[in-house]
Amino acid sequence: MITEYVRLEVRRTLRDTGFALGAVAVPVMMYLLFTNLGGQNEEEWKTASMIGMAAYGALGAALSIGTGVAEDKGSGWLRQLRITPMSPRQVVTGRALTGSVVVLPSIVGVLLAGGLVNGVHLAAWEWAVVALALWLGSLPFTLLGIGNGYRFTAQTTGVANIACNLGLAVLGGLWFPVSLFPDWLRSLSAYTPTNRFAELGVSVAGGHAPGAAALAVIAVWAALFGTYAAVSYRRSARTS
Amino acid sequence: MKNETAVAFTGVTRSFGAVRAVDGIDLSIRRGETVALLGRNGAGKSTTIGLLLGLDEPDGGEVRLFGDAPARAVAAGRTGAMLQDGRPVPRVTVRELVTFVARTYPKPMPVAEALALAGLTGLADRRVDRLSGGQVQRVRFAVALAGSPELIVLDEPTAALDVEAREAFWDSMRGYARRGNTVLFSTHYLEEADAHADRIVVIDSGRVLADGTGEELRRAAGGSLVAFDLAGGPSEGLDLLPGVTSVEIRGDRARLHTEDSDATVRALAGRNAIRGLEVAPVSLNDAFLALTAHARPLETTR
Repeated sequence: MITEYVRLEVRRTLRDTGFALGAVAVPVMMYLLFTNLGGQNEEEWKTASMIGMAAYGALGAALSIGTGVAEDKGSGWLRQLRITPMSPRQVVTGRALTGSVVVLPSIVGVLLAGGLVNGVHLAAWEWAVVALALWLGSLPFTLLGIGNGYRFTAQTTGVANIACNLGLAVLGGLWFPVSLFPDWLRSLSAYTPTNRFAELGVSVAGGHAPGAAALAVIAVWAALFGTYAAVSYRRSARTS
Repeated sequence: MKNETAVAFTGVTRSFGAVRAVDGIDLSIRRGETVALLGRNGAGKSTTIGLLLGLDEPDGGEVRLFGDAPARAVAAGRTGAMLQDGRPVPRVTVRELVTFVARTYPKPMPVAEALALAGLTGLADRRVDRLSGGQVQRVRFAVALAGSPELIVLDEPTAALDVEAREAFWDSMRGYARRGNTVLFSTHYLEEADAHADRIVVIDSGRVLADGTGEELRRAAGGSLVAFDLAGGPSEGLDLLPGVTSVEIRGDRARLHTEDSDATVRALAGRNAIRGLEVAPVSLNDAFLALTAHARPLETTR
């Protein structure tokens, strides 16, 4: 039942041109722009930025699940789902799984641009592990998006997602390396889920296992956003 | 498992702030019945349906579907519904949507059959959000019956349908009911309730005012209607005339509901008040008006 539901929702998401542009085309273009303009085109920056932008794309795609949820709440689709035999838990789980599927095009898109256009060299297993790390690491953001979607109207969710997206992306150093940040901001950045999310990918690309601190920070955020999603869902079920 | 009652409401209430949307409803629907929930806009029909499907919880009383809590009957795939509100789901085709809904049920009908019953065979590969209002309504119907549920609930199913589509819709609905399924639909059109339901439940201000066949409702409202011009004459005491059950004055014209039109007319003749006299059997619309005791008539034409 969940598989059927995920299949339907993935199709619906991929048919959304706004999604294809915002979550795939924009990160790929930003990556190519940031790495080929000016003097900053050393090998190391190309790899780091590739991972940052793939993370940024995954962040956007994961959050956009929330916009979809809010839209479905407004259109009555969530009510219609409630009168099918699917349980509310299955619906929410299905949405989260959908989120984990639709982040893939963003990750793969930027990694392809890195490998094919910018000539980033990684071993085959490294490519696979980078993609996997980014894929799994995007879960907290899917939960954040779903929480926003159940809590707010479609329009407010859009705004909340953009705020989360830009705030987390810039603070976490997905756009510019944190080495450009002042000291205080750099230490703050270490606690953001986005920074640690990118760190996952960077350490794997550098050939070593991600640090325990990174995993711990991501796990804490996943738990926080998961609770937020569950609370928001319960609130919306009571009022709609 | 064998339970002859499909739907049971016992003293159900539901308020929204100060508004009692459902104010003590008792209702029982047997398996295989086709029942119309008739009332004006705001009478409490949609709230009743929301409670029936477990989308909402009653403040008081109890709702049972097939002897079970509504949420459990829904989870077991025993109901399907066509809700009134909402826009079509974006970015799916008719076939994808109906196939998905069918597969959430334990014993669905073949998708092609659901599409055919709803008259959607030619539109199966079109996107739902690119259909006309009437076509979307047919998609909702297909979604309601795709799982082959024992009970289908239709909230104002013919809104947005033109005359031809409405006829086709009722044909499909009857076909589905004939298989032994239970159907509950809400409407604010009298003719629709009279023509397509075995039984009409009239609700107003969240209460059940009458419950029976169209014929029974007509009888309950009093056998005939006697109307005449007052021509400036007094309207006092008309309710005391023999046979009269209720009196309505509209401008200069008095309309008396009576159980014995002969006696009423004789008495009127005695008062010399027979100008423009008219005697007619009560219509279902008059019956409804007598029941709800408001001057605002239901829509009878469209």
